Amino acid sequence: MTAAASDRTANALHPVRTGLLRAAHADAEALLARADREAASLVEQARSDARALVAEARRQGEADGADSARDLLVRARREARSRTLGARREAYGRLRREAAERVGGLCATEGYAALRERLEQRARALLGPGAEVTGHADGGVVARTPGRRVDLSLTELADRALDRMGGEVRRLWEP
Amino acid sequence: MSRSGGIEYTTVRELRGPLAIVAGVSGIGWDEYVRITLASGERRHGVVLDADRDLAVVQVLEGTAGMDPEGVRAAFSGGPLRVPVGTDWLGRVCNGRGEPLDGGPPVFGSRDAEVGGAPINPVRREPPSEPVLTGVGVVDALTTLVRGQKLPVFSVAGLPHLELAAQIAAQATTAGEAFCVVFAGMGLTHADASFVRDALEERSAAGELVLLLNTADDPVIERILTPRIALTVAEHLAFTDGRHVLVVMADMTTYAEALREVSAARGEVPARRAYPGYLYSDLASLYERCGRVRGRPGSVTVVPVLTMPAGDITHPVPDLTGYITEGQIVLSPETHARGVYPPVDALSSLSRLMRKGAGPGRTRDDHLDVAAQLLASLARARQVRDLADLVGRAALSPTDRRYLDFEEAFLRDFADQRDDEPRGLDASLERGWRALLTLPRGQLSMLPAGLLDAHGARESDDHEDADEVGGPGRPEDPDSPEDPDSPEEEASR
Repeated sequence: MTAAASDRTANALHPVRTGLLRAAHADAEALLARADREAASLVEQARSDARALVAEARRQGEADGADSARDLLVRARREARSRTLGARREAYGRLRREAAERVGGLCATEGYAALRERLEQRARALLGPGAEVTGHADGGVVARTPGRRVDLSLTELADRALDRMGGEVRRLWEP
Repeated sequence: MSRSGGIEYTTVRELRGPLAIVAGVSGIGWDEYVRITLASGERRHGVVLDADRDLAVVQVLEGTAGMDPEGVRAAFSGGPLRVPVGTDWLGRVCNGRGEPLDGGPPVFGSRDAEVGGAPINPVRREPPSEPVLTGVGVVDALTTLVRGQKLPVFSVAGLPHLELAAQIAAQATTAGEAFCVVFAGMGLTHADASFVRDALEERSAAGELVLLLNTADDPVIERILTPRIALTVAEHLAFTDGRHVLVVMADMTTYAEALREVSAARGEVPARRAYPGYLYSDLASLYERCGRVRGRPGSVTVVPVLTMPAGDITHPVPDLTGYITEGQIVLSPETHARGVYPPVDALSSLSRLMRKGAGPGRTRDDHLDVAAQLLASLARARQVRDLADLVGRAALSPTDRRYLDFEEAFLRDFADQRDDEPRGLDASLERGWRALLTLPRGQLSMLPAGLLDAHGARESDDHEDADEVGGPGRPEDPDSPEDPDSPEEEASR
């Protein structure tokens, strides 16, 4: 083939080449545009998913946190309540011990003989004149008949008096 | 000091099991409370089971282990057990005879009361009214608990009745009015007692709970005292201090068994299934202590929980309980097997006083209508399910298939609830509406047209239905319940 023929052929194909190139450019641009759009959409979707995930994680975290906070609060309340009750029990125990000690001190007072006399009378009234009445080591008396016993020791009487106080004991911890 | 003036009896003729036979006594009566002192100075307590001439049979609450008959002294109190009453009980955890388990001092009260109590004089009773909202949707919506009512939970072993009882005790409220709960656990295993304590910790810490825990290994006579102490404390919190008090008693079957054991020890003639003949009147003497009293504030509402041995509702305990109480909440093994909590069998459950505590001016205007429609539709759904078991779902009419969807929505969305989820009445009724709207409007004949319009009830789509006769065509509306994976179902997950 001569050079002239070759030029003619090239000239004849020029529009085709131009057209093909234009079409290829257009396709490429469209492809790029679509790719850009898809990328943007994907990025947006990913961002949206990430936001949703973060929101969900935050919600779960808040819920877990609220649960933990509630558990902590319940435990703290239980502990506080337990300490309060423990302190009250201790105060009540001390009251009983002190009452027993103080009432024991009556033995050394002048009026103890008269008191003991009254307790003996009370014991005989309950168990009969034949009751065997003996002194108690802590003060007061204990009376016995076969099968029966009356404890009028000072510590026992103090215990019963405290039992009868009922709600008044609350003044130990209430204003 | 006791009526006997402090006389202690020292002749213990025999110790047999938990029983001590004390001789030489006089003027002793049944049920007298006894203080027992050992030679070591240790104190125990007992109750007179039987008294004959100069002998008294005393059941020792702490047991007779380690007791030497030689050194034992028994002081009779002259009457049944009395307990201090008042607000000191709130926030306390005690054993079945009212002694502290929480490390605190004994419970004090400005006065005390006999635990046997006395049922409310009928002519002074105020009819129950106003609801106690339990925060359990299916109970509040369908079997509303009314202040002053006694509404038992009938269950069988293995069902979560204790969870339900604890949930009700933890969540119940009375619309902002002063309210508290007395929970009496009877015959509980230690694991159950621990569960109850944890579940109710918040309410206990808030000073709105009295918790009495009698465990399975505690003496049976203590189990007989536990509900009586609970009710005595509740009565005073209600009628003296003006609170609305909910008393939850679980499990009353173990109480009845304790009664049977004590009755046998007393040598009484046994009646049905060896329970004593007075089981009915004994249960009534507990249940009838609830109510409201004219001219006094407060109310006592009782929710006893009982397990039916072998699921037998004709067993003496549920049978006699059913005569006394005002309805029942029945738990169903079938519903439990479907994974629904609480497994309430709505069609077997009933609150006879619901109309006094629910509806216009009390809960919500549409409450009673919705409840009635839910139950009616559920009854039809159950018939349809039986039919579907015979002929298959495909052979059902489109409307019938909607009933199956309704039942699923009822169970999954309306009834099912977490055991730590307090559900408000509004939310429960809205879920009820959602379940009902799975049905065509024409099937909701118990609801007024205005309400149906307001909730967007749709007429049945005949074309759609006709299409579906030949096969499971997909409905146009994605919200339609024709889809087995309907949004209602998803919402409940």
